[in-house]
Amino acid sequence: MRRRRRRDEEVDPASDGTADAQRRERQSGLRRVLRDRFPDRNRDNLLPVLHLLQHENGYLPEWALQVVGWHLRVPASEVYGAATSYSELHLDPPKRRSVVVCTGLACWQSGSEELLSAAVQRPDPEDTASVTTTACAFMCGLAPAVRVDGSWRGRVDAARLASLIENVDV
Amino acid sequence: MTVPDCRPAWQAMRDAALGRRTEPAGVTRVVVQWGHCSQAVGAGDVYRRLAQLFQSRDDVVVAAAGCDGACFAATQVVVELPDGTARFFDRVTDDGHLSEIVAAADGGAWERARPQGELEAFFVAQHVALMEGIGSVDPISLDEYVAGSGYLGLADALSIGPDAVIRLVLDAGLLGRGGAYFPAARKWQAARRVDAERRHLVVNAEEGEPGVFKDRHLMEGQPHRIIEGALIAAYAAGAGNVVIYINAEADLSADRMTAALTVAEAAGFVGDDVLGSGFACSVTIRRGAGGYVCGEETTLLNTVEGRRREPRLRPPFPTDAGLYGEPTVINNAETLANLPAILRGGVRRFASIGLNEARGTRLVSLSGAVRRPGLAEVPMGTTVRQVIDLVGGGVPEGRAIGFAAVGGPSSGLLPSGELDVPLRPGMLHASGVVMGAGGITVFDDRASPIQVAARLGQYNAAESCGKCTPCREGTPRIAEALGRLAAGEPRDSDLRDLRDLAEIVGAASLCGLGQMAGNPVTSLLHFYGDTLGITPNE
Repeated sequence: MRRRRRRDEEVDPASDGTADAQRRERQSGLRRVLRDRFPDRNRDNLLPVLHLLQHENGYLPEWALQVVGWHLRVPASEVYGAATSYSELHLDPPKRRSVVVCTGLACWQSGSEELLSAAVQRPDPEDTASVTTTACAFMCGLAPAVRVDGSWRGRVDAARLASLIENVDV
Repeated sequence: MTVPDCRPAWQAMRDAALGRRTEPAGVTRVVVQWGHCSQAVGAGDVYRRLAQLFQSRDDVVVAAAGCDGACFAATQVVVELPDGTARFFDRVTDDGHLSEIVAAADGGAWERARPQGELEAFFVAQHVALMEGIGSVDPISLDEYVAGSGYLGLADALSIGPDAVIRLVLDAGLLGRGGAYFPAARKWQAARRVDAERRHLVVNAEEGEPGVFKDRHLMEGQPHRIIEGALIAAYAAGAGNVVIYINAEADLSADRMTAALTVAEAAGFVGDDVLGSGFACSVTIRRGAGGYVCGEETTLLNTVEGRRREPRLRPPFPTDAGLYGEPTVINNAETLANLPAILRGGVRRFASIGLNEARGTRLVSLSGAVRRPGLAEVPMGTTVRQVIDLVGGGVPEGRAIGFAAVGGPSSGLLPSGELDVPLRPGMLHASGVVMGAGGITVFDDRASPIQVAARLGQYNAAESCGKCTPCREGTPRIAEALGRLAAGEPRDSDLRDLRDLAEIVGAASLCGLGQMAGNPVTSLLHFYGDTLGITPNE
């Protein structure tokens, strides 16, 4: 235990005592959760654990990845390697709003590029929204498909996209 | 080896299910077809609103079913009256036909007793077997599934022994539906022959191939059919552990599979002593985390073990050393969904459908420039053109077919003149067009084949996992060259380089992604090489 704590401090040498204490607090909280939910500590729990973390935090914070490695007895480098190799796992906090435009073949020929440029061109002075694409939303029969703040919508045109973006409770 | 007769146990469960299922006379069912795609056009809202509208009515039940594949008609609502007649509503929205639906449930007069027009045309050329019941039955209800002979195939399998199951499925001629079309029962045989304490059966429902949405429909509409198929396969392979691997984004599929698994476990179809046979089998559901390559079977195993998404060297093949180094069979969800009907006396029926070399039906995900896009079930051997014209109703507004992208990014393009090829394993066209997992995206005569090939090339480059150098370095070069061709600014060497790259990346990559990444190039050059505006510099 002592050795692990020292390693933990080395990761963040510049931080003041409070940030350090907060980090340790969060890490030990997560260790308790993982001990409770994944008591067998097998490596094959890695993806389920990462899914859980992303579900709880919206992304995979660096302090949490370290705890995952401790708990599952996997080197931190390999936890990081796995976390960065899957396209649905994110190491950065998500923006408050998000638009995902499907640019698969069916959506592309139904005008997804126009939807994408409309979404990109929307003014976002406070940088609160992300606009990204996906290669397929797997609802090709209802092209074009767009996801706004987590909900997929099919048969979307420019007017519908605009109203979806406007009419969401933020 | 002696095997117990599990059929009486199943019969008792069926009698109990039928007893529970009998609804009071005079009850009307309002069924909302709620799948992941209709959800995107408001099926969930329609369901909640109808449930609210009929809340106080004892004589009306509002039910959620899967989607029958007619995506163009989503959201569909079916009103089933006690006298056995039904009325079909398509393209229902929360603010749309709801008053008509209420009137229909009240027994208002109408002419239509079955789907008509576009909906009827969509199903005429289909052969509904795997999709049977989807769009009508409650996907989670074990009683409904068992009442329709569900889990009888499992009871039959347990009553004849694993060797007989393997023989039967070999006789039926069931080939894997993931894209490689390897005989399913050969894998069970291979795993069974390996001396091991534990064996595993992995259900590949990763379905990450762009343009393919069949496994989602099966999981959302008849999850028990896949669970039953997985149990039959596990029994035949001697596997006591089943892992069902579901795509990271297919939340509705995972929810319904989880709910179905829970009731199947409670009823004794899954567990330490399946139907009193002594066969012990645990089933767990795992989620992917994104990436086309995760559907590649050894990559999928790495994912389950908590490793990076990279394929493994073969040999050893998974049937020798797969999950945790133990013998493992990996079958596609659609493959397994065929097993219940085959086992419960359906060998001949299955073998009579399709081609001699590839029997049964194939789920085809049809999208793009057709009047009726959706998921279609057709006999193997149906031609691409038949799917497009008969099921899909051809291209809209009097345009003509330009070409079709068949088989996803690991395959290629077929021009309109080449569409009379039957769907079958192996090459549909020698230039690198395969059926793959059954995706067909249609383009009309305004679309540019080079633009489409360039997009496929970009996709392969983005999805390369980086393990094999030829694929990691070669796929971006292919994408760049195709991009220059698409932009009309090719280099002199591009055509030659594309030919070389397609061959080298294909020959020197470990897994299917790299091995097939040259197919969009080779089919493009074969069919459209002389229209690309540059001459081969050779």
